[in-house]
Amino acid sequence: MTDTLAPPAAVTPTGPVPPRRRSRPYRPGRPSLTARIVRTVLLLLGALVTLFPFYAMVVLSFKPTGPVTFPDSLLPWPFSTEAYDQVIGAKSVLRWMWNTVVYSVVSVVGVLLFASMAGYAFAKKRFPGKEAMFWSFLAMLMVPYHVTMIPTFIIIAELNGVDSYWGMIVPTLANAQAVFLMRQFIASLPDSLFEAARLDGCSEWRVYVSIVLPLIKPIMATLGVFVFLWHWNDFLWPLIVGQSLDMRTLTTGIASLQQENVALNMLLAGSVVAFVPIFMAYLIGQRYFTEGVSTTGIKG
Amino acid sequence: MVALPAGRTRRPRRPSAREAGTALLFVLPFLLLFIVFRFGPAIAGAVLGFTDYTIGGEAGFVGLDNFRRLVEDSTFWSALRVTVIFTAISVPLSMIASLAMAVLTRRMFRGVKLFRSIFFLPVVTSLVLAGVVFTWVFSEGGPWSQAMGALGLPAGSWLADSVLVVPALVLVSVWSRFGYGMLILLARMQDIPAELEEAALTDGASAWQRFRYVTLPQLRPALFFVAIIETTVSFQVFDTIYVMTGGGPVRSSYTLVYMLYDQGFKYFDLGYASAVGVALFVLTIIVALIQRLTLGREK
Amino acid sequence: MRVRKSLSAVAVALVAALAAGGCGGSDSGGSDKKSVTMWIYPVIADEAKHRAYWDETITAFKAKHPDTEVKVEIFPWANRDQALATAIAGNKGPDVVYLIPDQLPKYARNIEPVDAYLDDAAKSDYHENVAKAVTIDGKMMGAPVLTSSQPLTCNKKVFEAVGQQTYPSTWNDVLAMAPAFKAKGYDITSYPGDIKNTLNLTFYPLLWQAGGDVFAPDGKSTAFNSDAGRKALGFVKQLVDGGYTEKSLITTQPPVEQTRLAQNKVGCVWHAPTSELEQFWGKDNIKVLPPLTETKSVAYGTIGTLSMLKGAQDKKAAGEWIAFVSGADQAKKYDLASNYFSAKKSAGALYSGQPVVGEIEKFVSTTTPGPLHEKARDVQGVLAPEIQAALLGKKSVDQALSDAAKAADQLLG
Repeated sequence: MTDTLAPPAAVTPTGPVPPRRRSRPYRPGRPSLTARIVRTVLLLLGALVTLFPFYAMVVLSFKPTGPVTFPDSLLPWPFSTEAYDQVIGAKSVLRWMWNTVVYSVVSVVGVLLFASMAGYAFAKKRFPGKEAMFWSFLAMLMVPYHVTMIPTFIIIAELNGVDSYWGMIVPTLANAQAVFLMRQFIASLPDSLFEAARLDGCSEWRVYVSIVLPLIKPIMATLGVFVFLWHWNDFLWPLIVGQSLDMRTLTTGIASLQQENVALNMLLAGSVVAFVPIFMAYLIGQRYFTEGVSTTGIKG
Repeated sequence: MVALPAGRTRRPRRPSAREAGTALLFVLPFLLLFIVFRFGPAIAGAVLGFTDYTIGGEAGFVGLDNFRRLVEDSTFWSALRVTVIFTAISVPLSMIASLAMAVLTRRMFRGVKLFRSIFFLPVVTSLVLAGVVFTWVFSEGGPWSQAMGALGLPAGSWLADSVLVVPALVLVSVWSRFGYGMLILLARMQDIPAELEEAALTDGASAWQRFRYVTLPQLRPALFFVAIIETTVSFQVFDTIYVMTGGGPVRSSYTLVYMLYDQGFKYFDLGYASAVGVALFVLTIIVALIQRLTLGREK
Repeated sequence: MRVRKSLSAVAVALVAALAAGGCGGSDSGGSDKKSVTMWIYPVIADEAKHRAYWDETITAFKAKHPDTEVKVEIFPWANRDQALATAIAGNKGPDVVYLIPDQLPKYARNIEPVDAYLDDAAKSDYHENVAKAVTIDGKMMGAPVLTSSQPLTCNKKVFEAVGQQTYPSTWNDVLAMAPAFKAKGYDITSYPGDIKNTLNLTFYPLLWQAGGDVFAPDGKSTAFNSDAGRKALGFVKQLVDGGYTEKSLITTQPPVEQTRLAQNKVGCVWHAPTSELEQFWGKDNIKVLPPLTETKSVAYGTIGTLSMLKGAQDKKAAGEWIAFVSGADQAKKYDLASNYFSAKKSAGALYSGQPVVGEIEKFVSTTTPGPLHEKARDVQGVLAPEIQAALLGKKSVDQALSDAAKAADQLLG
């Protein structure tokens, strides 16, 4: 959902998305030795602070159940996989992971499909009410997501969508930010590409499938990564809609373990299991994550 | 604001009915979704604020009752205060951290990419996981309380302290967000024309002067952008509060969004919860206006 | 609301279209087989054991009712009201659910009374106080399956280590012993003040021991802002201020094994489940004592009931399931497996002569199940943070209670 996306004012051409007019990158001389040492020390310190929680999460998850003390418990021994046995065996972490995968993947496909269709029409077609529609999409970005959450829940409840995949997924497909970005991207493509196909007698759907879709792969990738990330980490909406044990996602499942007051090592083992997939995705597709930030300005 | 279709050169002909029809078909799926799940709920959210709707019951129009109750509810004022304080600490801190890290990783040197990746890692990490780990970090006798004790600052669990709980939550927020701002600022820094800095360099400006008078002004739009995003995120902080404090102790970390959730989905007073939502909306608008008038004035 | 209805209509059309496109969820279509879904909570703490109990029970039930499919889902205690209320709101509620008396009034309008589904012999076999606690407007809102009791439990090892020969029976005893415990590095007791904990287990027993109550007899106002309330809160505050309890527990709830209770550093508690104490203290180290006294000795004890929801798909089948599970034989098996006690007269004492459980069982008749009021849980929501405020010294005891009373009375409207 688009709750934490930038309000439209921020996505103006003067925002952080300037046209790439990189004339000549600025290359000053090498900084002095002192400067480099200070920089390295600060960066190492920052990295330490950033990574410490991850280290603690992993190490403490491999402890036998029992009291944890600091700093002694941060040593990698005694080592035990007890917590993992419990969290994967007795608690349904794998089920939660499956739910999270369904929620994320189906939503990404849906968002990309509907947003690219609409974005294409807004960029390259003319039809009555276009401006009004587009502006109302943008205006809605100003309304905090939480204001719409309660009515959305009521609608889903009335439709018997509570505790179902579709009830969880469908409302998140109304992602106006995605339409906006698609429109921006498609508008920058030359009209001639589409005209030629049209002259060849292709139907509009053919033009969309065989011309537009291949051309918008780059924006699909960056946008897709971010929509995926957003859903993977989404919490409040799945918390409300997926109440039953079978419909928990990783985030709501881990939170429920924490609310149940399970042992710390189990809680952290569950967290590690939840973290590994997104960490792998980050390692592999890092380029898209970072490009996504600098070109789309979507919350991670 | 946003220029509509970009690069439109010649005045186009009027669309044929057929063309308009196909175009509408392309927009239709999204339009329906948007009307049902964004536009409709936004209107309904405001309307519900004037009713006593509870789940399973019928909705009756109660006029301004919910808002009157809101104004008299000390919990609401405290939630508003907590939200504003949280945002007021969190946004500047996270911007400073973003800016510092962007400056430190600006130049190319061995390992810079690794550092950038590390700093961005918390951004891709779910706040629930962050909350779980930081609950331990901030626990009594945990790393943070021992570090604070060693520095002569208040030890003990910050999460158990009604004053320090907000700073603790802010730290988690900054940890999870600064990498994002850093990347935005880095992207902008790459686009600062080299001539500007070189000119300053030949004028004999010190590194600080170059940063202060060349880099920073150039970064202004990007900083504005980050400020707006961070404000939105701060207003809506929920996951970490749910996991780490449940709004406590003594409602010291009970924010507006948490109140909306609590009233709506714990007590199922959906009318009242919607009134809280309206208040949140008004607050968002006010702050957005203030930001535009102050930070964004030179545009 | 009209807006909502027409929106829903559009949404239906949209979702139908999406479903046609292969986006549909799994619908449990209407088959000939009757089905019953029950939600229960970790009454038996060991999840595998609990699961096994219900699997066995379902098999036994199906031997008699082969056409009925039963699904038992074990939910966590935490946030169970939220999960249940949301599910009921979304028409996804269970057919049968485990409730305790202080929840019954809140869900009363969603509950189908069980009177018609239990035979008279079964109904008259319940202890009178048990039957009374689950009856609203003359109708039984659920079929009780178990009773519990939370008297005082002390750790023998800790008392030995401190060199304390006698065990406390009054609040004054507790306060008098506290410094000796502190001097040796132990806590006399612990008070879990995190708002996740139900006050039924933590604060209310003290309130009752001081002679107070949560609601006024007519239920139209709260009654905890009284001398008894101030005394009870003052007692806890004395313990906290003296450093006699683990301070961080007032506002946070770390996993149990990280607390001093689990590390055998706490003398006596009145709120911990027996299973937890057995796990961390060892059965032999648990000393069971009568509930503490200020003006009277009284403990919290609950009654587990199985209630049918009005939205149940097949009420007859659900009724048969409830009657089967709450029947004398079956309920006894459940009580024994879970270390809880019987709600039935015919069962008698289940554990006589046994250590720990046998002794706890003796106090079942002196327990009280907590306030039976529609807003009981909502009042806890406003009272718990005020108790924290007083214990942290943010407010005086008087101020905290009167603020809580003000907010709570507003809820009662």
